[in-house]
Amino acid sequence: MRFTRAPRSLLAAAVLACVSIAPALQAQDWFHLETSSGAERLRIAVADFKPLTPDAAAYKQTFDTTLFADLTAAGLFDIVSKDMAPQTTPGFPAEINLSAWSAAPSSAAMVAFGNIKLLNNHLVVSGFLDDAKNAQYPQIFTKQYTDEPSEDSARQIAHRFADEIIFRLGGGVAGIAETKIYYIKLLGPNDKEVYEMDYDGANQHAITHIGTVAMSPRVSPDNSRLAFSALGTYGFQIKMFSLLLNRIINFPSTGGADSSPAWSPSGQQLAFSSARTGPSEIWVSDPEGNIAHKLTSFGRSSSPSWNPKTGAQIAFICGRSNEPQVYIMDADGSGVQRLTDGGYATSPSWSPNGQFLTFAWDRKYGPGAPGGQDIYVMEIATKKWIQLTHDGGRCDFPVWSPDGRHIVYANSPDGRQEHTRIMSMLADGTQKKVLTGPGADMPNWSWK
Amino acid sequence: MSSYATTPDSQDDYFGSGLAGAVVLHVVIAATIIAAAFLTHLHHNSWGENASSVGAIQASMVPAIPLPTRAAPVANSVLTPDTVSAAPAPPPKEATQPPPKPTDIEIKAKTLPAKVAPVTAPAPPKHPQPTPDTSKASTGEQATQLPQSISQVKNGTATVTIQDRAFGDRYGYYRQIVSRIVAQNWYTQEADPRSSQGKSVTLIFDIERDGTPANVRIETKSGSSTLDTSALRALQRVDGFGPLPAGDHVTVEYTFDYHQQ
Repeated sequence: MRFTRAPRSLLAAAVLACVSIAPALQAQDWFHLETSSGAERLRIAVADFKPLTPDAAAYKQTFDTTLFADLTAAGLFDIVSKDMAPQTTPGFPAEINLSAWSAAPSSAAMVAFGNIKLLNNHLVVSGFLDDAKNAQYPQIFTKQYTDEPSEDSARQIAHRFADEIIFRLGGGVAGIAETKIYYIKLLGPNDKEVYEMDYDGANQHAITHIGTVAMSPRVSPDNSRLAFSALGTYGFQIKMFSLLLNRIINFPSTGGADSSPAWSPSGQQLAFSSARTGPSEIWVSDPEGNIAHKLTSFGRSSSPSWNPKTGAQIAFICGRSNEPQVYIMDADGSGVQRLTDGGYATSPSWSPNGQFLTFAWDRKYGPGAPGGQDIYVMEIATKKWIQLTHDGGRCDFPVWSPDGRHIVYANSPDGRQEHTRIMSMLADGTQKKVLTGPGADMPNWSWK
Repeated sequence: MSSYATTPDSQDDYFGSGLAGAVVLHVVIAATIIAAAFLTHLHHNSWGENASSVGAIQASMVPAIPLPTRAAPVANSVLTPDTVSAAPAPPPKEATQPPPKPTDIEIKAKTLPAKVAPVTAPAPPKHPQPTPDTSKASTGEQATQLPQSISQVKNGTATVTIQDRAFGDRYGYYRQIVSRIVAQNWYTQEADPRSSQGKSVTLIFDIERDGTPANVRIETKSGSSTLDTSALRALQRVDGFGPLPAGDHVTVEYTFDYHQQ
């Protein structure tokens, strides 16, 4: 959460900010990302699926569009434009002429194709992935999916087929086409609810109906619970929503303001910031809110984020040296280390491989300073960082995707909160996409 | 009366003959100079005289300059003959001997060795023999011809070879995945360009069933320690290649060629 939006009690508690001068950090705007070696990407073509029954044609368009978009968004492939691909719809491996696909201009190394049909009032999709360069053994895998005949299930089948392709060809990292994004929908000045959507922005629907201000939703690693903070009688408190029971379950309230929950990768611990003993500190409890204990003692600490690879470190925001900065510490509260060297940093999120942190940062913060809040990625070992957004308005709340290749964040082109929308991009800052309309904020990507 | 004695007149005016002699002498000297100058002037050319015969160059126009005529070529000049002499005639062909016929040389017929009774293999033991316990399946180490996959990266080439030929043929796409993922993780900036230029290092590693690389070791060092280290680090950065499509493990040979562009 941002300090500017924090309740008055929290800000009053922040007066006890400690003075600690972190060593000057060496910031350089260069380090290796996935694409920096110059190796080329795999070129893959997606054929339109062949409708075997006439009533399946209604779902074919949705399926084809979704599959093409999923593979494009994966950030792994060089997708053959549909213009360059042969204008055929092979439905079976016997019908495909692979040499036509591997030849220029499509020059595809892989071809995904298949057929779609309605059988016994079920949507049946057969998908094939062939290696266009291997004439002797072209087939890589075959999948068949059966689901209810609906527009939504056609999209889900396309997501699953795309995830299978990404899993086989992308080094064993599961695709994200079936993941969800939870976010805050601004319904009114005092009504902000938690919403859920697919990773591509489709299928947006409400999760909570609490009629008050909800903030910072965080889904548990097993997708069973959703922790968030909501404004109640005594300020912000942690709320727990069960996605299985579809209702709010018990989580103890305390005297001070509790906010910004964060799940440990094991799902057995919940970190959050709490002002129950005075200044805002990082606390850790079990998922039921019991055995809570305090990790920090410097005040003005918030926005914890676990290292999802090891579960042994927590990144958080601390304002002990005036403006809030990104710090990391071990999960027992030792080894506190400051990462940012100035400005105004918020909302850290750890990459799934534990190597990087992304956070929102206003490097030239202050009255009259020319700064803007943008998304940055920092390599923790070297403290080198790069800036991912430029000149796009205020950006905040970056969160890594579970495959480590994407980042979702909130962006407000003119800086006004009601115009904030959710965008996603590849982790190197390319392929920026708007996922929602205005009035969406604080995204959180599900773990799987 | 004065005391001065006056000289007699007779001693005063006796200079007339001396004066005449001096005048004559001067006239003679002047005449001699003039005469000498006149005589000398007569016998020398005068400068700037307006005469056509002396003191200036006279040019007169002629229709042609009478050059000497070209000499006719010498017919039998030894040094530069005009005609090319004919090549010497080839030496007369010598009659070659016809090749020897195969029957010319006698070959002794081979004498077959005397037949020996075949040795019968010892009968297998009755009790079952334990198969040697190997931790790996026998899918590797059968390569004769090596299927390769080459990927170009910045400042280098990465070549991957799967030692199991059947696997490399059947799952060519997996070979490409391995090649591309390692190439993506090879940061050629880590190699020193001066000492690594044109060198190559070969690594060998196994890919386990779940796709993780294991047993990474250097097969051939490049001679540049930074290049060797960068290749090893490329493998260390890889979390996995995706599960193997078949088999328990494969052994992969990976060659990094460094050539700066």
